[in-house]
Amino acid sequence: MRLRCGDQSFDVEVRDARDGLEVRVAGRSFRFALEPVGPGVFVVREGARARTLHLARDGAAIHLSWGGVAYTLAEEREGARAARRHDPGALEAPMPGRVAAVRVTAGQRVAKGEELLVVEAMKMENALRAPRDGIVRAVHVLAGDAVAPGRPLVEIE
Amino acid sequence: MPLFRKVLVANRGEIAVRVIRTCRVLGIPTVAVFSEADRTSRHVREADEAVAIGPAEARQSYLSIDNILAAARESGADAVHPGYGFLSQSGDFADAVRDAGLVFVGPPGDVHRRLGDKQASRRLMAAAGVPVVPGYDGDEQSDTRLLAEACAIGWPVMLKPSRGGGGKGMRVVRREEGFLDALAASRREARGAFGDDTMVLERFVERPRHVEVQVMADAHGRTVHLGERECSVQRRHQKVVEETPSPALTAAHREALCAAGVAAARAAGYVNAGTVEFLLSPDRAFFFLEMNTRLQVEHAVTEAVSGLDLVRLQLEVAAGRPLPFAQADVAPRGHALECRLYAEDPQNDDLPSPGRVLHLSEPEGPGIRVDSGLDAGSEVSVHYDPLLSKIITWGQDRPEAIERMRDALRRTVVLGVVSNLARLRAIVEHPAFAAGELHTGFIEEHLPELTPTPCPPLEAIAAAAAALSRRRTASAGARRSAPDPWANLGAWRMGDER
Repeated sequence: MRLRCGDQSFDVEVRDARDGLEVRVAGRSFRFALEPVGPGVFVVREGARARTLHLARDGAAIHLSWGGVAYTLAEEREGARAARRHDPGALEAPMPGRVAAVRVTAGQRVAKGEELLVVEAMKMENALRAPRDGIVRAVHVLAGDAVAPGRPLVEIE
Repeated sequence: MPLFRKVLVANRGEIAVRVIRTCRVLGIPTVAVFSEADRTSRHVREADEAVAIGPAEARQSYLSIDNILAAARESGADAVHPGYGFLSQSGDFADAVRDAGLVFVGPPGDVHRRLGDKQASRRLMAAAGVPVVPGYDGDEQSDTRLLAEACAIGWPVMLKPSRGGGGKGMRVVRREEGFLDALAASRREARGAFGDDTMVLERFVERPRHVEVQVMADAHGRTVHLGERECSVQRRHQKVVEETPSPALTAAHREALCAAGVAAARAAGYVNAGTVEFLLSPDRAFFFLEMNTRLQVEHAVTEAVSGLDLVRLQLEVAAGRPLPFAQADVAPRGHALECRLYAEDPQNDDLPSPGRVLHLSEPEGPGIRVDSGLDAGSEVSVHYDPLLSKIITWGQDRPEAIERMRDALRRTVVLGVVSNLARLRAIVEHPAFAAGELHTGFIEEHLPELTPTPCPPLEAIAAAAAALSRRRTASAGARRSAPDPWANLGAWRMGDER
């Protein structure tokens, strides 16, 4: 299977081994024995060492907690498009909310970190900033619009 | 004889659960209220009964005085506990509850109004001899007047909505050029959040600490303090880690600060539990910031060192009883910390991160308390505050409280929504935190060390892949027999083991 974390992709191979599973990833090999102990909770044995893995999935998103830290991975399905094309200049709504203010217009030059628009969610105004230097190609929303996560807001080239 | 026949808790989330718990101990039946988004929430299930008060949108449910009073009438409640946030500091709500013949668990309406207004409270405290930050609290609110006052105060200047709270609409302005833009943004946020955009200006004190005094006043003229809390670790004016006692204060400083807190409460004619917030400058001068006319989010650290149940005291005072102790009887012991677990993404500028909690494991153990309104399956809604739960630890001294907090955070698991858990761990493990070198810019100052890495170590990726492949084999087997009730939760049934 292929697991993605941000820009990094990991091809992971899992095989049955004599005393558990053998997992190969990024040139390393792990030998695990896995015991489920409750919904979403596993004890992972590696030799004499036992650690706890918490895991839950939500569609292609894999949420896990390891060593007391939570992470999210995305599973890329076999046969599906390789790494989703991600335009680094496109700014998407990170959460559901309402556009409180639009600070830029198409054609405007912006610097990385500059405030592009303000989305109100959970009673706070959250500034969304330019991911890089560039020129605003398009602004897809108006102040007052309700936005869902993933909706394109501003494009920068 | 219980204090009340039935208490309606006009709130949601962890604080509603918290209040219900004390009522249960006191033998008082409880009524929860809920919006449609909360119909299966924990506070609804923990109360003796629950009444729907409207749609998810807070304005039409938790902020609707009419709907809450209708729920009180329908359920036969004779007292209303407002929790914090929502209507807890609304003088109109306190009056409406009283006019409906019910008891409001908190100070009366005129006290809320007097203190809920930063302008009026600054003037009141200055008159009572409680120190205030140099600034402008005048009535004239034109852009030109405010700009002129800001220039007179000297940069940087802090903009504060007069009716505000929780940091909403507050901004630090460092230069004259950015002032009018910042003013417009603050006014817009203030209008949205509080329905009023009057601003107070204050000199911005660099590297200040935030300390506050818990006071408790009964209706018979007794006002006591329950010590101070330090809440300097903040992000965007939102408290993140709190503790008591403050590591910054000597016994003499503490006494002066707490006496000022009591003086402030007396000046305001205060009744019930309240908190007087101060700003502590690096040279240990303190200035009145505001008084919160309600129970605080962080009240649990005071409970941990004082052994008192603040909600119980609130209910007793509201029922007209005198405080059962005097100042000399208050003897705090040990040290307590609180970490606020928020649905916010530390890798993404702390943006709120709503979603569904898929998996939850809360810590327990000696000296650990968790106040939570969460369950596995809870929806963290965009309509409400992003606070998920509070983890409180107590120790005989500060190092022990920190040790216990490290352990508690390591054993806390929340999957499905992105939380600030890794940030909290990084804070309490930071050497500057251990040294007590705190100020309200602590998180910004140490941001690189406090921002977690997005990707797990290879062994975690390998373990996750192993679990996923096992699950796939198992659910293929399960599909042949019966639908897997855990499938949507991404969980595992022990019976599927082969």
